[in-house]
Amino acid sequence: MELLPFFEWMEASLLGQIGKTYGGVYAIGQSLHLMSLALLGGTVLVTDLRLLNVVLRDVPSEVVAENAHKWFKVAVSLIIATGIFMAAAVALRMYYNAFFWAKMIALATGVAFVFFVKYPLLKRDHSTINPVVIKSLAVASILLWFSVAATGRWIGFS
Amino acid sequence: MLNETLLRFAEWLDAQAWSSGLHESYYMYNWVESTHVLTLMIFLGMLFVIDLRMLGLTMTNVPASRIAARLNIPMMIGFAIMIITGLLLYYAVPVRTTQSIWFRIKFVLLIAAGINAWLFHRRMNESVSTWDNDPVAPKRLRFAAGLSLALWAGVVTTGRLIAYDWYDCYRVNSDLIAWAAGCMAE
Repeated sequence: MELLPFFEWMEASLLGQIGKTYGGVYAIGQSLHLMSLALLGGTVLVTDLRLLNVVLRDVPSEVVAENAHKWFKVAVSLIIATGIFMAAAVALRMYYNAFFWAKMIALATGVAFVFFVKYPLLKRDHSTINPVVIKSLAVASILLWFSVAATGRWIGFS
Repeated sequence: MLNETLLRFAEWLDAQAWSSGLHESYYMYNWVESTHVLTLMIFLGMLFVIDLRMLGLTMTNVPASRIAARLNIPMMIGFAIMIITGLLLYYAVPVRTTQSIWFRIKFVLLIAAGINAWLFHRRMNESVSTWDNDPVAPKRLRFAAGLSLALWAGVVTTGRLIAYDWYDCYRVNSDLIAWAAGCMAE
């Protein structure tokens, strides 16, 4: 499927024009994106470090995972919303940027991992799950979300 | 006087080979900057969780002091990395950064956030035994948690704005902007 026309349309759209014309609004969008990333990082790390028995060892991991997942959904929604706004203003540049596509793949993998693997598994009683599986899940999650953030940051440098 | 001293210090740093070396190194500079930004996930991420607990918005069935105490170490590790990488970023571009209005506002917000955090911890330690298991912290602490979120949002925003040259000293700025940015040299 040819995606170039979609990116051309995005850049010409009202959203793209707002981001292009008003530098201050664009910068606020970037800041919100970063704060959402921080919130996402907090929810992911607090859960994964708990699963690895690094933090909050005296709090049941089910409680940590359940509460963190609620805020993860808020964070990922904000990241996607602000990300669309940021990408719209420079859509054609993004289309030809390899790191943008790397980030999109990492983000899609991360979201799929959380909603189809991690959360369904963590909804169960954690004592019934093999500890090796729990720890592998936590390490995979940290690596995945680090890749999302790192590829995202590198878009600006390439 | 203060601006002159700051600028002289920045120019002294700028004259060092390591400063321009770091600035001109594509990979080193970008890795330092990336580490600075990505550490937000550790430092600010943990702070968000602590503040949300104080506001009664997460893990309300866990004592607030336990959340704050257990997440304090990873948060401080993140903070230390942010400070080190932040100092390196300043070292790489000292003259422009010293005369950046956004950097100056960020610095003031950082000090305000530090004072707020110190007061917050003092108040929390004084009164925690009376409300620790409550789902929501007392009003004063909720205010401090909300203020903490607002101040750090300001730090992130002004940090991001340093990259923009809208008010750099080489531009024609109003007297107020030029004064606040401490413009003495382009």
